[in-house]
Amino acid sequence: MAKVAMIIDKSDNVATCIAKVKKGETVELMFNGRNSKKLKARQNIPFAHKICIKPLKKGDQCLKYGLSIGSASKEIKLGDYIHIHNIESNRGRGDLEGN
Amino acid sequence: MARRKIPAPRLRKTWFGYPRENGDVGARNYLLVLSGTLYANPTCERVTRTLRHSVAITHPLGRCQIAPDLRRTFETLVAHGQNANAGAVIVIDHHREEGCTADEIAHEIAKTGKRVEAVNIRLSGGAIESTAKATRIGMEMIRELTREQRHEVPVSKLLLGLNCGTSDTTSGISHNKATGWVTDQVIKLGGRALLAETTEMMGGEDILAAKCVRPALGKKIWAMVNKMEADILACGVDLRGSQPTGDNIEGGLSTIEEKSLGAIQKAGSAPIVDVIPYSVRAKKIPGLHVMDTPGHGGESITGIAGGGSQVLIFSTGGGHTINHPLMSTIRITGNPVSAKLQRDTLDVDVSDIFTGTTIEEAGRRVYNEVIDVASGKMTKAEILHEDNAFAITRTGPSV
Repeated sequence: MAKVAMIIDKSDNVATCIAKVKKGETVELMFNGRNSKKLKARQNIPFAHKICIKPLKKGDQCLKYGLSIGSASKEIKLGDYIHIHNIESNRGRGDLEGN
Repeated sequence: MARRKIPAPRLRKTWFGYPRENGDVGARNYLLVLSGTLYANPTCERVTRTLRHSVAITHPLGRCQIAPDLRRTFETLVAHGQNANAGAVIVIDHHREEGCTADEIAHEIAKTGKRVEAVNIRLSGGAIESTAKATRIGMEMIRELTREQRHEVPVSKLLLGLNCGTSDTTSGISHNKATGWVTDQVIKLGGRALLAETTEMMGGEDILAAKCVRPALGKKIWAMVNKMEADILACGVDLRGSQPTGDNIEGGLSTIEEKSLGAIQKAGSAPIVDVIPYSVRAKKIPGLHVMDTPGHGGESITGIAGGGSQVLIFSTGGGHTINHPLMSTIRITGNPVSAKLQRDTLDVDVSDIFTGTTIEEAGRRVYNEVIDVASGKMTKAEILHEDNAFAITRTGPSV
């Protein structure tokens, strides 16, 4: 059975993998109950973590729910695993604030 | 052959409830036996054990609190007596603690037009006599309450409570989304919804502020989040610096924005029409209201019931067992594992969102449950007497 990743809003550039995905595996994207296109995962991605579905340049906003969940800290390619290693919060950085 | 799309059935625009003199409509018609102070709890419980059709609200407060904190307790107890799910109320206390006596509480509740009686344990002649007195009054009240019929009323008479708990990575993409869909329908039909949990808003303040109909409301959201953060910081804990938590990161949440966006999906897409303090009755403005409450589930849903909600959707990843004694609490999950393990606890399973069910299809299922429960269908928690979530949030130390 194909591995599925869910897109929440049509403007999103990430999808949430609803199964553990291995590097090189094909991931089928699902939006609003329908399967759309497929892409290949470029790294291992754990269950419920995010995959890049539209390439991002450094500084681009990473969109989930149609809204920014942070900005790309480096270039992110189609099929890349997205997490704290390549996106960072635009706010709420307790480690940076008030110093 | 052309595929014909079967149109989705129309959403019900009415429910059946108990209209009150002040224009509110109850989803239940309980006799509420309300404890004025913790030392009246056993008497309240004796009364409700005897009387079918009654619920007790008991708590550990009402004594030795500093003035603003006692005021919060008083207002929360009054607000519960005023909640439309209570058809009549008996308030019991053991001692005259000025600022929170049964008489004072009853006086405020009576303003709604419903029948209220106050019973003092000492003045009634002790534990057994006060129990007998309250039981007798209660029995007569229930005779009257059970003569009343449900009437068909529009969805605009509903104040839908929204809360989530034991959230996980399924929350933002399944049950919170389905809840958000329901919220949007209720508001489209002229109803109201109440979002709470200030700690969950941290990181999403600017998004929530942008949803407000007036900039002043957005400022209130910023102020309440900042105050919550400062209060926690005063205890030596930096909540923001540790967000998202290690567990969250392991679960796939990369930033604080991502975490709070998942939580506020429950609120759907409607603008915010008002921002109110803890357990204060929501105004009769249609739309989405926001209440300042802690993230603590029991305290948060107690605030929401005090706001006047008759029915609450409790959206949970892990399968929370929370239930408010007076406000019907519908527990839903999108987590397929929880749906199995906690099937006696959860009222609606929307985990099929992960296998191709649309948010709208899942949302319709939840919406139907809301209308059914508002009209009298009992939740699993109501049937099982799981009255575990009356908890008043405090503003000061005990003295």
